[in-house]
Amino acid sequence: MKIALETLGPCFQGIFPSMLFTCSKAGVPNVALLSHVEYLDPTHIALSFQFFNKSRRNIAENPQALLNVYDPDTAQAYVLRVRYVRSETSGPTFESMNLRIEAIASHSGLKGIFKLLAADVYEVLSVDRSADEIGIAPAGGTRSAAPPDAVFTMKALQEFADRIHRATGLEALLDSILEALDQLFGFHHAMILLPDEQPGRLVTIASRGYPEDGVGAEVGIGEGIVGMVAEAMKPIRISGLVRQMLYAVAVMNRAQEQGLCRDSRRIPLPGLSHPESQLGIPLIARGELAGVLCIESEKPYRFHEEDKAYLEVLGGYLAIAIQNMLLRERIEEPDEPPAAHPPPPPARPAAGDGTRREIAFYAADEVILMDGEYLVRGLPARILWKVLRERERLGRVEFTNRELRLDKSLALPSYKDNLESRLILLRKRLEQRCPEIRIAPSSRGRFALDLACEAILVERP
Amino acid sequence: MISEELATFLAAGHSGHIATRGERLEPDGARAWAIVVDPDRIHVTAYVMKAAASGIVENLSSHPEVALTVDRVIDHVTWQLKGAAVEVRPARAGEKAEVVRQADGFIGSLEAIGISRRLTANWRYWPCVAVRLRVTEIFNQTPGPGAGERVK
Repeated sequence: MKIALETLGPCFQGIFPSMLFTCSKAGVPNVALLSHVEYLDPTHIALSFQFFNKSRRNIAENPQALLNVYDPDTAQAYVLRVRYVRSETSGPTFESMNLRIEAIASHSGLKGIFKLLAADVYEVLSVDRSADEIGIAPAGGTRSAAPPDAVFTMKALQEFADRIHRATGLEALLDSILEALDQLFGFHHAMILLPDEQPGRLVTIASRGYPEDGVGAEVGIGEGIVGMVAEAMKPIRISGLVRQMLYAVAVMNRAQEQGLCRDSRRIPLPGLSHPESQLGIPLIARGELAGVLCIESEKPYRFHEEDKAYLEVLGGYLAIAIQNMLLRERIEEPDEPPAAHPPPPPARPAAGDGTRREIAFYAADEVILMDGEYLVRGLPARILWKVLRERERLGRVEFTNRELRLDKSLALPSYKDNLESRLILLRKRLEQRCPEIRIAPSSRGRFALDLACEAILVERP
Repeated sequence: MISEELATFLAAGHSGHIATRGERLEPDGARAWAIVVDPDRIHVTAYVMKAAASGIVENLSSHPEVALTVDRVIDHVTWQLKGAAVEVRPARAGEKAEVVRQADGFIGSLEAIGISRRLTANWRYWPCVAVRLRVTEIFNQTPGPGAGERVK
């Protein structure tokens, strides 16, 4: 029975290593490991050309090749007889392959070395099942193009939209997005990152499914898989991340041996300690990046093409929802300042032993350390320092977002200050690191500072 | 001559592939489930599952050129041997244990990178065809800049 190339989509996720067999004009065969194989259409695939190696020289002399690929769901191997057609160094095929390779490169500290030189397009002449590497029966008994746990039903999508519409504030919105992704679609590990006030950085604002919520974890735009999603403003789906990292690390070791790569620093990913699949979705509204949704799994082949397609569409919807919520919270802020300042109330009784906390603000770096450990930096640090100082000096415990915006010492940008997201970040960081100090919303556009400890404020240069 | 260190690597049970070519320079290939290095460390024997070896056997009857690549999947340290086939024969019963040992080692290393034995349970590696070749060139094939560098 003829095997249609389009039924082999899962084989091109890079979970099993592929091998490329070539032959020189002089008749000397060669077999080499291949980094990426991409499906193009029912008769074409593209192979990654990353290094000027023997395979590439053979192909230039003799366009015939043989390729092994594997189905990650069944471990069935397929043998593809192919013929080189052309190399592409731009265009959608190149861009798509390049983005995935760049993401892996960035994740492993190999930017500039682990890179795509060209997407080599091959015509597929035949596809056969391997006679020795025989797969197990697929789940459900038949091979299906649909993922085994497809969940994007109309009912689920309606419920997803309903939950988002019911959210009354930004924090509730972000939490409801992650909760709905988990409960309705089975994406148990996810995080949302928003642009930081510091240009070129994203900061984690909400997460679900991790031992620590990771709020405040930062990623530079262009760094790692999440950072690459933000830079390219395109989704990136990586399967078999462990296998692909092994390949990248092998390249790094070779590069280091040859003195081409001194920086072996890796960008630590927030989230799962050993993610096997990652799906990064840019949240784009009106051509502008509102954030990045990152979903992870410990399964090597968790995210299918359908997941990516649906989430890319939902990403636009979520971006608009986030932007609208930011706008709404700003519009509905009260104009009047809080009532006259009462004397500061006594600190809430501490749960344990009458805790004392030293809160040190390092002005030059705009960083707050709590008992010597990092708490927050940048705008959230400036806000916390302001409200703690005002509580100490003036006895104030209630504040408005509006007055923060008008306070020149906080230096909020005049346009798109993201104040609400900074307050959420601050509130969550305090919950994690110092539950004795709380920033609690008291009404729309207002929040109260609540202390259950003695706060020793120290300002350092 | 193959170094002692490389001989140990080749026979450790990694991911092996053998490549040959036909009359019109069309490449063919299959998995080499086991590799045994001769005491002279000039000849090696690769074991290919009989059902997957028909193209290779046919090619070798008229074109002896062979490439044999061995990749350690946990870190992709990879070596390629090139040479000419000097013998193609059915594998003997006494060779089965070594084929099974190396195949099991390879499948175990796949497990170490997250590919479970449940998935590979149907893979078959016996009976085999044994391809003995005289090695004339050795290349460091580990991916990266300089991949394919000749060391012998």
